[in-house]
Parts: sequence; C-alpha cells; structure tokens
Amino acid sequence: MTQRAFHPLVKLLLDGDITLADLPADLRAEGEEALRLLGAIDRTPVQFPGMTQRVMQAVAQRPSRERTLWHRIVEPREVRVRFRPWLLAPALAAAAAFVIWLGRPAPVATPTAVTVRFVLTAPDAREVTVAGTFNQWDSHATPLVRTGSTGVWTATITLPAGQHQYAFVVDGQRWVPDPAAPAVDDGFGRRNSVLTL
Amino acid sequence: MIAALALPLALLAMQQGIPDRLAGRVSPEIAALVHELGTAAAARGLPIDPLIQKAIEGSAKGIPAERVAMALRVVATQLDTAAGALRDAGFAGDTVAIAAGAFALTAGLTGRDIAQLARSGAQPSEVIVGLRVAGTLVALGVPPAETVALVSATLQSGRPAGDLLALPGQVQAQMAKGIRPAQAAAGLARAAAAQGRRGPPPARPQPPPHPVPPPHP
Repeated sequence: MTQRAFHPLVKLLLDGDITLADLPADLRAEGEEALRLLGAIDRTPVQFPGMTQRVMQAVAQRPSRERTLWHRIVEPREVRVRFRPWLLAPALAAAAAFVIWLGRPAPVATPTAVTVRFVLTAPDAREVTVAGTFNQWDSHATPLVRTGSTGVWTATITLPAGQHQYAFVVDGQRWVPDPAAPAVDDGFGRRNSVLTL
Repeated sequence: MIAALALPLALLAMQQGIPDRLAGRVSPEIAALVHELGTAAAARGLPIDPLIQKAIEGSAKGIPAERVAMALRVVATQLDTAAGALRDAGFAGDTVAIAAGAFALTAGLTGRDIAQLARSGAQPSEVIVGLRVAGTLVALGVPPAETVALVSATLQSGRPAGDLLALPGQVQAQMAKGIRPAQAAAGLARAAAAQGRRGPPPARPQPPPHPVPPPHP
C-alpha cells in the first residue's frame, strides 16, 4: 500500500469544505486526482454472514463472574504449604499483640466539666461567697445567692473535672469549710473542703 | 538535641509564669520563696501549681507570711514524697499524678499507700483519679488501710473512672445511715473485689454529672 500526502487545501476539498473552483490553479490537478481516487473507492458494505450469531453464542457460553468464583471455591485444587520455623516467633508475637490489643481496657471517658451546686446554711450572714483553687481563692469572684428567708445560700457553677479545694467566705472575713463535704488540713490550721470531679 | 533544648526552655517558661500568676496576689517575700521552690521543683520534674495555689490561698486568707512560707515548704516536701512513691511504683514523670499524690499525703495517706495504689495495674489516668478519690475518702474519715483496699480493688476490677469518683458519695450515703466510714469502705471493697473476680462489667454510659455537695435541708 502506498501513501500519498495531499496538500492541506486538497484535504479541505475532500472533506467538502471547499470546492474545486476555490483551489489555486496550481493545485487543481491534484484536487481533481484526489476526487477521482475518492470516487473509485468501493463503498459497498462488507458482509460477514453468521457473524452476529457466532458472537452471541460465544457470549452465552462464557461463564458468569459469580459462577467462576464459585468454581474456584468448590473445585478441589492442590495447595502447597511451606513451613519456615524462623517465622513462627514473630507470627506468635504478632498474634499475642493482637490478642492484647483486643483485650485492652476501653479509654477512660470522663467529663471535662461538671456543674456543681454549692450550698451553705447561714441565716445570719449578710454575704456569702465561695473561694477555692478554681477561682484563684478570690473571695469576691463567686457569690452565693440567698434563697428565700431560710438562710440557705446557693451558687451553681461549672468546674473543670479534677480536684478542687474550697471554702465559703461569710461576710467577707470568716472562712468556713463546707459542712457537707470532706475536708483536709489547709496547712494554716484551718480546713479546706474537697471536691473531686 | 531538641529534647536537650526543650527542657531548659520549659523550665524557663515555668519560672517566668510564676511572677505573672502571683503578681498583686502575694507579698514580694512569698513571691520570691515560691519562685525559689518552684524553680527547684520544676528542675526535678515536679508540678509547681500546688505551690502557687498555696501561696495565693495563704494570702487570700490573710495568713502571716512566715506561716505561708512554712506551708509552702510542706507542699514542696509532699510533692517530693509523692514523686518518689510514684517512681518506686514505676509510675514516674506525670506531674498531674504527682499533684494527686501530694493531695493524698495532705489527706493522711503515706508514700507507701501511694505506691501501692500506683501499682494497681490500672491506666495512668485511672491511677490519678484513684489517688484523688483515696485522699477524699481519708478526708471523709475512712482509715488509710481501708481506703487503699477499696480504691485498689476498684482499680483492679476494671470498672470505669466514674465508678471510682462515685465512691466518696457511696461512703457518705452509708455514713448517713449510721455506718462507720471504715465499715462502709470495707463493704464496698468486698463488692469491688467480687466484681474483679467476675471480670469487668459490660460497657455502660457515663453517669450524668451531678453536684457533689449534697443539698442541705
């Protein structure tokens, strides 16, 4: 088979984009030859009798994917196992590590902040606050509110989880431990209440 | 190289934080003492927050400087003792655990008790909660031996940290019924030990947070 390269304008002519008259005079002969060759091509459709039928038969005979997998599973086959003793120790170690990992205790889930209510019964107090490690022992930072005429003072605040020491400050000068909470020596001869959250 | 630089830089940052936290809260002599004790503590890997808190507390309560200084030296000693006990139990380097151990000492436990609790085999975060709860139980009046038995049994039972935190409330509830703290703790310890023999309970949701101080009538 020989190949011949036509001028780009002649290719445009073959594509039907231009006519023979549009070609320059020196390309017209080449254009006419190209058209002649194009006209000489036999355009009769090629027939392959029985082709479609043969293809469809082949497709029908091909086993499905699921069927192939099933055959792989159920059909007997030869399997060779090689035992390498030096691989036994790391394999056992990996298995032991996996078992330990499976049996590990769940991570400790503790709340990061807890809302607590401080309560002090002080009928004669004019002012009650609570000071502790959570507010840098500031005796003005967290006032309690008197509820009704019973002399019960309360404050509800949210504290970070952990341990806190505190005391009530009555009338701005008297430090009083919480009678309802455990208390420890504060190192100064008094008692601090303890809150463990 | 980075680690060699990181430690002095961390110590420097801690030391620089001390004056900032004490500014306007304590007298200059107490601030100087906290700086001195804090620098030495940080160099030994101890927490400095308990020292700062004690200085601020003393000043807020109007305690004389010499009394505050004495209390600060006690805190420094307790931090050292707690760190040593934890180190003996193979549980070193955690400043939060050291602070929890120092609190337990304040409450009345010994370094030996702290080491025993740290050897319970629980996770570090649970040991920290265990030390805090142990100190709280002693503060409630539970003798140290019963406290250590109860907290150790609970730690070894594999129960969640929420169960540990509930122990002081459970002891208080029994005390309200007239049961002595030691008896209450012993009963809870037997229950925890039995739980430990049966294995940890199935996972359950954390109890909702609730106020620890019980309401007054």
